[in-house]
Amino acid sequence: MSARTTNAATTASTPGAGARSEKEIIAELLQTVSASRLTLFLQCRLKFFFRYVLSIPKPKAPALHVGNAVHAALKARNRARWLQQPLSLKALHDSYSAAWTDESEGKVDWAGAEAEEKAIGWRLFETYLREHPLPEDLKPDAIEVSIEADLREHGLPRLVGILDLVLQSRIIDYKTSSTTPNPERVAHTHEVQTSGYAVLYRHNTGQRELGLELHHLVKLKNPKVVVTLMPPMSDEQQTRLFHLMDAYQTGLQRGDFVPSPGMQCACCEFFNECRRWK
Amino acid sequence: MAVKLSANYSKKLGLPGFSSHSFSASVEVELTDLSQVEAQCQKLYQLLQQSVDHEIQQVGFVPGEFYGINAVDQSGNNGHRTQHANCHTNGHAQNGSGRGYNVNGHSRASNGNGGGERWNCTDGQRGFILRLVNEHNLDKQEVEDLARQFFGTGVRELNKMQASQLLDELLAKVGQPRQTRHRRQPSSSQPQPAVAS
Ligand code: SF4
Repeated sequence: MSARTTNAATTASTPGAGARSEKEIIAELLQTVSASRLTLFLQCRLKFFFRYVLSIPKPKAPALHVGNAVHAALKARNRARWLQQPLSLKALHDSYSAAWTDESEGKVDWAGAEAEEKAIGWRLFETYLREHPLPEDLKPDAIEVSIEADLREHGLPRLVGILDLVLQSRIIDYKTSSTTPNPERVAHTHEVQTSGYAVLYRHNTGQRELGLELHHLVKLKNPKVVVTLMPPMSDEQQTRLFHLMDAYQTGLQRGDFVPSPGMQCACCEFFNECRRWK
Repeated sequence: MAVKLSANYSKKLGLPGFSSHSFSASVEVELTDLSQVEAQCQKLYQLLQQSVDHEIQQVGFVPGEFYGINAVDQSGNNGHRTQHANCHTNGHAQNGSGRGYNVNGHSRASNGNGGGERWNCTDGQRGFILRLVNEHNLDKQEVEDLARQFFGTGVRELNKMQASQLLDELLAKVGQPRQTRHRRQPSSSQPQPAVAS
């Protein structure tokens, strides 16, 4: 299987990989894993390889940039409420704009639509504010907190992640999306992430979460918010997550980076590199 | 008519390792008339302040960073400090997943030694907090107050998630905000432009 890795590597440029060898990078990736990295690995191993092993630089996706700016405004709002110093709409807009100008994750190719996209993102945030005012007396337990869980005793890599918001022992994750989530499917399609967050929460607090929530901010002509409530992670869900983490580990150890052609290729930034894979 | 004047002076100072000590002194004097109040206040304030300042310099016993750990170790760890020997349960039920896997892989001491002298977070977090306080001359009382403002509990009692959040705040305070951005994944498996999660 490692030959497949080599084939992929030789057909792609590796400007972002720096001086570290492929082996060293994989060894590092075996140490820790986040839910998003695991999800990408499960979605398409070759895409994972291009992004995390070869680090092929790509322009930042506009939707990702909008999402980051909305997250920054949500964080500012939650933090201010936590400190019981609510921010004015203007101050929140300043946080949003500051995040908008941040290009540390790469420049975005806006194709002339930056102002429009910025307005869409802000409208999305305003909609959320309107539809989900945080009660004055509700203090968050955590806001965008980075935590990790040592899963060595399960023979697994360390799990790392960032919880957007923990409120009254409920884990809340914000999502910006261009389509309305399907309520039946959304719990399944985000299970790696939600289970990962539950494991992180339990390991870092010694408590079981009371539930999980996905707050989708949907970018429609008339923006809307869809909240999906989920119960605490079940034992079966945790077992599934651990199996998937095991598959990640085994796959990386074997250098198993085969492509998974499918619907997701329509928006894959590594499409050209992928076509050269053999 | 005799006028009674009571004066009190108290001072609280922070000590290493999130300890503090305080001392107060009070006196009561009798004045013959109200015109003496101002002068007496001045005199008493000086006297009390000097006395308190003189005495409070004697810090007495200051618990070290690892205070209380030996007591925990004696309960079963041969006196050797293990990686998480300084953690205690903080009253949280450690039910983990409900299927018996160890919470965070950190076996926590739970010998009831809940005197508040041990830290509830990891050794690494404790070391990081103390390093930030020392390197940036942060006021320990302010850090303690910050923990109470956010979590309603002292620094030593913070769980790992809370300690991580406090570290974020401290890093931002000293101008080194932690990089919390992460690559956000599509929020749906349906093909669509990348969106943020
Ligand atoms: S184009 Fe499809 S198969 Fe190829 S790397 Fe991208 S997602 Fe994977």
